[in-house]
Amino acid sequence: MALRFRTPHIEELPIAQTKQAPGFAWVTVPSAVEKPTADLTNKKRGTRFAAQGQTDEQREAHSVRQQEKINVHIRELNSDNARAGSVIVPKKEDGSAAGRGKTTNTRKILSSMKHFSHYLDDEIAEFGLTGKVDGMDRLTETGLVPAMPMMSTAQRASKTPLVRRVQQEHSNGGSPRPATPIGAPATASQVDDQDDGLDGTAPFPSQADIDALLNAPPLLYNASRSAPPPTSAPPARVFCEICGHWGRVRCLKCGARTCSVDCKTIHVADRCLKFYA
Amino acid sequence: MARQKAQAPPSTNLQPRTLILDNGADTIKGGFSSHQDQDNTSSADQCHIIPNSISHSTRDRRTYIASQLSTCLDFGELAIRHPVENGYIVNWESQKAIWEYEFFDDGAKARGLWCEPRGTNLILTEQSSAPIAVQRQADEMVMEEFGFGGYARVVGATLSAFASSPFDGAALEAGVPAECMLVIDAGYSHTTVTPLLHGKVLQSACRRLDIGGKTLTNQLKDLISTRQFELQKEDWMANQIKEDVCFVSQDFDSDLERVWRGGMKDRRKIDHSIVVDYVLPDYEEIKRGFARPHDPSSAARKRQLGIGMPREDLVVIANERFSVPELLFTPSDIGMQSEGLVGTILQSQNPLPVGLWQASLANVLVVGGTSKLPGFVERLESELRSRLSDDIVLRVAHADDPIKHAWTGGQRLAQDETALKQVIVTREEYLENGDGWMRRKFLGKSGG
Repeated sequence: MALRFRTPHIEELPIAQTKQAPGFAWVTVPSAVEKPTADLTNKKRGTRFAAQGQTDEQREAHSVRQQEKINVHIRELNSDNARAGSVIVPKKEDGSAAGRGKTTNTRKILSSMKHFSHYLDDEIAEFGLTGKVDGMDRLTETGLVPAMPMMSTAQRASKTPLVRRVQQEHSNGGSPRPATPIGAPATASQVDDQDDGLDGTAPFPSQADIDALLNAPPLLYNASRSAPPPTSAPPARVFCEICGHWGRVRCLKCGARTCSVDCKTIHVADRCLKFYA
Repeated sequence: MARQKAQAPPSTNLQPRTLILDNGADTIKGGFSSHQDQDNTSSADQCHIIPNSISHSTRDRRTYIASQLSTCLDFGELAIRHPVENGYIVNWESQKAIWEYEFFDDGAKARGLWCEPRGTNLILTEQSSAPIAVQRQADEMVMEEFGFGGYARVVGATLSAFASSPFDGAALEAGVPAECMLVIDAGYSHTTVTPLLHGKVLQSACRRLDIGGKTLTNQLKDLISTRQFELQKEDWMANQIKEDVCFVSQDFDSDLERVWRGGMKDRRKIDHSIVVDYVLPDYEEIKRGFARPHDPSSAARKRQLGIGMPREDLVVIANERFSVPELLFTPSDIGMQSEGLVGTILQSQNPLPVGLWQASLANVLVVGGTSKLPGFVERLESELRSRLSDDIVLRVAHADDPIKHAWTGGQRLAQDETALKQVIVTREEYLENGDGWMRRKFLGKSGG
């Protein structure tokens, strides 16, 4: 919304619908469960609410915020309890200098309070700036980075892993690259081709290729992370907040999922965020 | 050991004993091996499992270092601090205290784990793709602070290649690695997929899934805390519950249906064979929690309220039993943008030439504490089998002792002098050539 005056850009953030509406809506979820015979998705209600409200931008902003919340939650799951910082390492009784470290370097190491995320950020920064780590190359998602200082951000090591790299420009060896990734269903045309090697009779690569593979530098930390599933995969499953079954009922006020009207009643009583709205 | 003069070439004599430390996030697997032993028996008895943590109990006002935890009587509200984060030693202050207590202090003599660093070689494990600063710190601490006589920093999965392989009938000689192997390490911080060829890592194909035992414990803690009983401060208890009752379901959808209470109009009968009553320990009467089959009668509820008999805290665990370990196979259940373990394995094969796929997939070895969950290996094998074409032979083996397996590999490696010489850097070589040379040697690049 552009105003007449030179004010900062104002963007309307997406808000939940606050229309007069019954408290729940049936949502179809992709599950292997046999659906009840009646089709419970109310098409009339669906079209009425889908057309209103959010633009594409707002939807994207909303989903980015949701994904950030999810990422924070996952980081919490993967971290130690916050009280771990309160555990003090007991000092030795003799209190000699040996307890503090024998050389200046070790003393620095022993007193450093860094966490792993700091080291990772340092390494990403060093790689982004110089293209090398410790004077040696490293593998990124797209293969070996050329040993040249990177000034542009064109090949900045990103934190998000790329989608599965089937079509690689750079290759680490001269071996035949598979045209389809392993595990993908073979289409009719590929079954005819001989070079997929899924029949298990592909030749063992030559010694030179193997040496190249073994001598390759290690991957960057983020490059070795498992990539997100391809977009053709079925969407993520959603579970009921209260009991953990499939989340087929969506609370229209706050968007949380529950499995049945019973659980939804509990949700509205205890946990709905839009309690006062 | 003979000390050479500075002019002579650096001594390549190895110290007689080798301390092998599989420095994991949850436990250290440590023990000695020697290449001078006449009998090359590989025995996991010499491997000691040491909790790699320093814990503080506010109730007892005591701090427990590493194996002192076995003397702890009250695990309630135990604050646990791990020096290893994401598989790498990050906090050397606590790690040094733990190592000193376990291996260098006088108290260690009683446990049979005492050693003098200058006269011992050290094999230390790490995870692949370590940040250089972390590796530098480890090298610095080992050589300068502790002063070991010989040192090798290896990727943990490579040691598994030296242990007796569950695939070939014949046992390998000491120091000879298995030819081709795909090691899946389901550990505490994360799960790694590491393809190996002749005991060396195929770097471009390593993959990591950021779900490990710690993630599962925290998720179980969250679920029970929101649904039934506040466990947010009870890390140790949640870990025990996870180890006691969780399993990996072979058919997630049908298991979820079996424990559903049903909707308003669609009442279902819960299958009580899966539901479990877990009695929580209170560390006064009940020292250790235990599970028993669910008792839906009202007598059970009376017992919980303490009518007529001592009170017990009861938690009914139904779908959490299998929905928590399901995260390993479907991380998108909590919104993580990753493929599951099977997808990660397939991703790791993609950068490799097609000719290597069959060799790797015929030798899949599963190790790691989280792999001890019942049903884990079966589910992994069946899901992997369904995603691969029928022509590829798939063999999945579960290590006999998933926790000690890498250590036994290190033990056999250390029993063979030639293999050990190739890996270990002696203190004299380090002083002569410097730490950069040593780091490159550990990476596998010989020469300056």
